Amino acid sequence: MTPSTTTSSPSYRLTRIPWGAIGSYLVMIFFALLYLGPLFMLVNTSLKTMPSFMKDATALATELHFQNFIEAWNKANFPKYLLNSVIYTVAATTIYIITAVFVAFPIARGYIKFSGAVLTLFVIALFLPPALIPQFQLLLNLGLYNNPIGYIMLFIVNPIGIVILVNYIKTVPKELDEAAALDGCGYFRFVWMILIPLIRPALATVIVMHAIGIWNEVIAPTIYLTSKEYYPITRGLIVFQGVYGSNWPTLAAAVLLLTLPMLILFLFLQRYIVSGLTAGAVKG
Amino acid sequence: MSYHFGRGWSKLIPYLLLLPGLLFYFLIALGPSIATAFYSFTDATGIKGAPVHWIGFENYREFLFMGRASVDNLEALKRTLIFSVAVTFIQFGLGLFVALIVNQNLKGSNIFRTIYFMPVILGVVIQGLMWSLFLYPLGGPAAKLLSLLGLRSEFLGGPPAQAFAWVIFIQIWANMGITMMIFLAGLQTIPSELYEAARIDGANTWQLFANVTWPLLTPSVNTNLLLNIIGSLQAWQLFLVLVGYRNGTQVLGYLIYATGFGQTSGSVTSSFRQGYAAAASIVLFLLVLVIGMTVQYYLQRREARILG
Repeated sequence: MTPSTTTSSPSYRLTRIPWGAIGSYLVMIFFALLYLGPLFMLVNTSLKTMPSFMKDATALATELHFQNFIEAWNKANFPKYLLNSVIYTVAATTIYIITAVFVAFPIARGYIKFSGAVLTLFVIALFLPPALIPQFQLLLNLGLYNNPIGYIMLFIVNPIGIVILVNYIKTVPKELDEAAALDGCGYFRFVWMILIPLIRPALATVIVMHAIGIWNEVIAPTIYLTSKEYYPITRGLIVFQGVYGSNWPTLAAAVLLLTLPMLILFLFLQRYIVSGLTAGAVKG
Repeated sequence: MSYHFGRGWSKLIPYLLLLPGLLFYFLIALGPSIATAFYSFTDATGIKGAPVHWIGFENYREFLFMGRASVDNLEALKRTLIFSVAVTFIQFGLGLFVALIVNQNLKGSNIFRTIYFMPVILGVVIQGLMWSLFLYPLGGPAAKLLSLLGLRSEFLGGPPAQAFAWVIFIQIWANMGITMMIFLAGLQTIPSELYEAARIDGANTWQLFANVTWPLLTPSVNTNLLLNIIGSLQAWQLFLVLVGYRNGTQVLGYLIYATGFGQTSGSVTSSFRQGYAAAASIVLFLLVLVIGMTVQYYLQRREARILG
């Protein structure tokens, strides 16, 4: 092994063969194959024609059959579904994060009475039964079944995000409040102009966690949206699978069209995504 | 704490601005969550305006004790427990193992970390479709690997027990990254001086793990165990994408969805037995609560013993 693999670990001597490092790399590569294998298969399949897939599913694509992507884009009604997903995600996340900041700030500062109890109230939902059935009854009786507004309403609440924000706001010195107030800054303006820029890392974490949850949601659209024109992309893909299930090259292209933007986003926002999703995992 | 932004009526501004968030929360989350218990005692359907009657414990009696369906229900309950135990322990073990390996800061380990976390952001639909393709029975990669050993399998289309095992595998594949990241965060809080001191005392790698890493990792061990248990008891979305509502593979979460909203996702029909589904939700909830609290109790006792 080259010495370069051991430089970070001073306990190894250059003259010794670093069996530990070799073993570690073997393990890491094994798992990497397990994770990249399905992705690679997806890419490979998406570039093949149906006959060549039927002949040998795993053979490397010899021709680059980009036609699959065009076909998937057109037949899967992608532009419409994508637009719906974007609208749902942006609208619900925006409403959520604005209301959440105004919930978290006075709780963190004790500017409202019983702020501790109010926070507990938000946490308690994590330990109560699922809200699935009554939520449906609520939207049904409000006439918001199969309605984009009703669908968005489902996602304007997220207690974990509130807890993250409260904890972060507590690290912002409260002397700042006093100083700003002395200068005549009002409550709303303080939160909007001074607090929000200061808590950007926590905001990013919460926004990313919440938005990814909405974007990837698959159960709610099958329950609440029956008209094709309202489908988000997740539901669209499942419908597409139902119709083109045996045509893997086109289906793979459709899946990839959705996977690539997510992967690129992931590489850029990795820090926030990881902290958001590991915190968001509390939701189970 | 004293309020600085004005006095008199303007002290009400924080309350006013808090109100929308609180109202949404009551309306969308807390209220419906509590109302689940109420619905479980009714014969509510998914039809708008249909009369709803109070029927006491009838849904529970039917769910647990009546006829063929209740046998299936108890099977699903058993399957939920098997799924949860398998996913919890394997995901916990692998997540810890991989975190320890990646945490050595070998060159490139950041890239591997990113790769293992990748499925988490892709969501169940993409995860499911990726694996449906990888497990393509007519000469897909997994089928080819098996044929090298002279074996054949229908994978997700095979016997229910087999399909079920594959969903367990994919569930772990998809979420191991979260477990790993939580362990990595825990590993980074262990001061390196402790390792150096132990090494000077002549500890070998196994002793380092058993006497330094494992005890000091207790907080992330607890977090991961609880998250895995609670999460896996409620997880069923991958079943929807990978195998559909198929006999011999159903878990409780899927059963609730199927009875409450019809097996096929379509328009509202009278088969939407929402009172019954609410009762099933309460059964699942109690299961999660009892198991979660028991585990939490033992974990806290263990933590007190180890960390003092």
